[in-house]
Amino acid sequence: MSLCFVGLALIAASAACAALLRTRLVLAERAYGLLVSAGCVAAAIPAFRVLAGGSAAVVRLSIPAPSGPWVFGLDFLSAAFLLVILGPGLASALYGVRALGSAQDRRGVATARALFAVELVALVLVVLARAVVPFLVAWEVMAVLAYFLVTFDNERTEVRRAGWVYLVATHAGTLALIALFTSWAGVGGGLTFDALAARAGSLPAGGALVLCLALFGFGLKAGLVPLHFWLPDAHGSAPSHVSALMSGVVIKMGIYGLIRVVSLLGAPPAWWGWLVLVSGVVSGVLGVLWALAQHDLKRLLAYHSVENIGIILIGLGTGALGAAYGVPLVAVLGFAGAVLHTVNHALFKSLLFLGAGATVHATGTRIMDRLGGLGRRMPLTWVSFLIGSVAIVGLPPLNGFVSEWVVYLGLLHGGTSGGSIRLVLFGVAGLAIIGGLALACFAKVCGIVFLGVPRSDAALHGHEVSAGMLGPMFGLAGVCVFIGLAPGLAVGPALVVGASIARVSLPSSVGDVLAGIVRLGIWSLVLVMLLALGAVAWGAIRRRRSIARAETWGCGYALPSARMQYTASSFAAPLLAAYGPLAGVHETLDRGGGAFHTHASELVLERAILPAWAAVRGVLGRLRPLQQGRLWVYLLYVIATLLLLLLYLARGVSP
Amino acid sequence: MERLADLLLLLVLLFGFLILGTTRLTTCIRAVAVQGGLLGLLPLVLHPQWSVHTLGLAAGTILVKAIVLPAFLIWAIRESAVRREVEPRVGYVASLVLGIFAVAVAGAVATRLPVPGEHPVLLVTTSLACVIMGLQVLATRAKALLQVVGYLMLENGIYVFGLTSLDRVPFLVEIGVLLDVFVGVFIMGIVVFHINREFDSLDSARLTELRD
Amino acid sequence: MSLLVLLVLAPALPGVAAKTKAVLTGRRGAPVMQLYWDLFRLVRKGAVYSTTTTWMFRVAPVAGLVTPLLALGLLPLDGRRAPFGFTGDFVAFAALLALGRFTLVLAALDTGSSFEGMGASRDATFASLVEPALFLSFVVLALATGQLSLEGMLGGAQALPWGAAAPALTMVAVSLFFVLLTEASRVPVDDPATHLELTMIHEVTVLDYSGPDLALLLYGAALRMALFAALPVSVLASRAHLPVAAALGVLVAGLVTVAVAVGVVESSMARLRLSRVPQFLVAASVLASLGAILQLLT
Repeated sequence: MSLCFVGLALIAASAACAALLRTRLVLAERAYGLLVSAGCVAAAIPAFRVLAGGSAAVVRLSIPAPSGPWVFGLDFLSAAFLLVILGPGLASALYGVRALGSAQDRRGVATARALFAVELVALVLVVLARAVVPFLVAWEVMAVLAYFLVTFDNERTEVRRAGWVYLVATHAGTLALIALFTSWAGVGGGLTFDALAARAGSLPAGGALVLCLALFGFGLKAGLVPLHFWLPDAHGSAPSHVSALMSGVVIKMGIYGLIRVVSLLGAPPAWWGWLVLVSGVVSGVLGVLWALAQHDLKRLLAYHSVENIGIILIGLGTGALGAAYGVPLVAVLGFAGAVLHTVNHALFKSLLFLGAGATVHATGTRIMDRLGGLGRRMPLTWVSFLIGSVAIVGLPPLNGFVSEWVVYLGLLHGGTSGGSIRLVLFGVAGLAIIGGLALACFAKVCGIVFLGVPRSDAALHGHEVSAGMLGPMFGLAGVCVFIGLAPGLAVGPALVVGASIARVSLPSSVGDVLAGIVRLGIWSLVLVMLLALGAVAWGAIRRRRSIARAETWGCGYALPSARMQYTASSFAAPLLAAYGPLAGVHETLDRGGGAFHTHASELVLERAILPAWAAVRGVLGRLRPLQQGRLWVYLLYVIATLLLLLLYLARGVSP
Repeated sequence: MERLADLLLLLVLLFGFLILGTTRLTTCIRAVAVQGGLLGLLPLVLHPQWSVHTLGLAAGTILVKAIVLPAFLIWAIRESAVRREVEPRVGYVASLVLGIFAVAVAGAVATRLPVPGEHPVLLVTTSLACVIMGLQVLATRAKALLQVVGYLMLENGIYVFGLTSLDRVPFLVEIGVLLDVFVGVFIMGIVVFHINREFDSLDSARLTELRD
Repeated sequence: MSLLVLLVLAPALPGVAAKTKAVLTGRRGAPVMQLYWDLFRLVRKGAVYSTTTTWMFRVAPVAGLVTPLLALGLLPLDGRRAPFGFTGDFVAFAALLALGRFTLVLAALDTGSSFEGMGASRDATFASLVEPALFLSFVVLALATGQLSLEGMLGGAQALPWGAAAPALTMVAVSLFFVLLTEASRVPVDDPATHLELTMIHEVTVLDYSGPDLALLLYGAALRMALFAALPVSVLASRAHLPVAAALGVLVAGLVTVAVAVGVVESSMARLRLSRVPQFLVAASVLASLGAILQLLT
């Protein structure tokens, strides 16, 4: 556990390096890279030890402070989330060293790198905190630093607007969290997590207020529909490694908070479990539907994060329902699926964002309809992006399939037990819809961006990116493949974490699940081997035939051009049409000018938040006459308030 | 016999989905006719001791719901020469999905509703599902004739629910069937014909032009 | 053993469907073994590759063969045990077939042609809309048998409870037939006999393939048809108590019957208008969910 703090100190030192060594750039980059790597590895070792060793290292470090002791500890849940932070965090930091290196403003770059390292420290402290005050302090530092990281390109208007919306949303969440913890601790109650857990039994209505505030506050950070409205703009406008950190790690802190609240409260009431399950399904389906409608590569990936948060919430809801209805196997499987999918999503979403960043870096544009044929010009980026896509769709033999399989198992075990919990089976339909839509979406992304012929000059000039940017991507891809082919190594600890969240011991029927995992791993290996063998064998057979090359068959059309290829919006159009107005796509057709334009709008922001804000501004505008701008009017206000206050205080006192 | 009742009720539900999902007007009317016919057979299956009462009820229901009313409606179509159908306001896919939600809600409520006596659980489910689906057709379809079909499906649902009290309250179901159906269709028929004569289309959305 | 029989017999199924269609429309039609001759002929030919395609184009036929093959290994074809089953393997079943489809769609977009793009887009649309129907059918089977693997649901020790759950199981069988029509690209979702590229869906996705690759793809498509036909057959005819040879015979007879049914459907209906196909697919899901609700009520 103290190794964690050593790691944190190393990361902080790297921030100091980046900030101070502004003039000696090469030395600064090397020092930064080395220190961040060393720090992340050092901090990760205790986490691995906890997960592999099987016993929770509840090592405390109490720092007495006015608001109560600051306690830090590392249990199973914290260990899992520590890995979520450090793996993608390290990859993004190393990528950022290369990616920002070519930017113009040197001072901005140094500050950005330093702030990134401090952000990593704040994230680790959020996960390690075992008392309310350090948790909230670290949370707030993380949120504000993320704002500065997102608005790196702040000379562009949309980046500033995105940062502003993000700031408003995250502070609304923090307000809810403060209300949550104060209502939970009560007047004069202890502020450590243990004291909160002890008080959990005496909360009114089974902790309804606490749970609803948690869902709202942590949901704003996690990005569940309809609280996701800040996500697409913020993640789309940030530099790519920052988007990778935000999508992969920061929104998972919302999930961490939710799971921590559930684990401290004990078994949540059943209605909350249903609420989480339904909001998970809605977030998943709407997230991927809106992703399908996007033209911008990074906004599409941001909406996909909303979808995967939905899948994680489905797992969380299943676990909560298992705990509420007293079916331990379902509780363990649900929570394990949620945690495993969090880890997996952090891995492949960071990978995808880094790949998208490489694409944008090479071509200079984010619009998918201007790209194409990049698979030939950037082959290594294409391979790692393909691995990330196959993982995120949940296809075997990679890791996304493993975590979705665990969640499916949780749902099915719930469905085949007795009682009202059987209704979770409709979550299976929800997951199936999400999977199908995700497949269509990533087929679109991979096909339009990397395959075919370049659609514009920007794509023609695509080139492979440097090794400093490829290295982190392949590292993440390697971990994805590893977890996919050896699922037992990931699912075993995940089940232990799930059991610790549900506060039960591992039920015996889990042995059946573990046996299934082993067979799943063997099966995935068989799949990969068969594919490899098939490709080699078929290649040998093909080489013995005559091979000719020609133009793509266009039904006899003699002059095909690159613009005649299918575009991203055309690919998605039939599927979006099947869902109707839910997809939020506006089409404008200008017959006279011969133009057709589709625009994917952010429904919650444009239909709910902005009109509500306009209404509030209207009401507050009526109060504008109060601000006269003249000094004597303000003095009049002060005198009037003073008189009213004196009269109020005097009314209770008898002469 | 219990399995036969379950089968009949299942077929009633399936024809309800057919009404929600089909595009042709005549198919809708024929589907609600078949529903009525199946419901006429239902009292014979639920009470295997066939008294004159049940036989009369069955015959009357089949006559009214499956033969007379649909014939009347098809004659009305031929008179006003309307064949095509407009999309429902929410789209066909959404209609089908809402239908499934209706059945799910009906099932959830049916298991909790304290209905006296012994009935197959599918009975109350089907009746509530038909009521909700009938209301859905009434709310989401634009053609006045389809709204008549929705009203008939609603009536079918209420009839099925009345079958739970067949022994206890004499003539309850019969009076309900005859009176409601006749009054409803009679008025709708008159209104439909008058709409057709006064205006050019049977689109009930344009009825809003009648206000002030 | 049953796996080998199925691998040999799979190309006969599209031939049976085509022959049924021909007989019902008054023609003589191609022989039932036509696909075998086509495969033999194609494997010996050379190939023409487009200049825009990359390695993805060459990988897709291999994936198109390996994925149904491995999926067949998950089914209890002899009525009792699957060659390689495990808990929750029906998720792996659906995901494996999705992998095959993903590679095929990417290969279609690889050619850079608008025809393939159109086919790929429609193929992806229909696949994503029919996925819930497949999962809901498995859910109904899981509810009926209490087992969570394909081996347990469709084969294994206990026969399916046709006594109590007959309506639900019938609807599952019909829903699985609709899924077969979609996955094998048959009428009413797609017309395999059309010659106009603008009206093709699956055919145009593989428009640019030739020679041995096309042979692999056709064989893979026949395997998928056999796979999805085996599902309703296993639901309708429980073979756990039969000796192995008889179970195999029942399976083959069932597959041929399903192929004949496909032929009948093809000759009696036209392909649905493209905007109406989602309705058909949602109807399949509706049937399966109705079965699930029925099963939950009892």
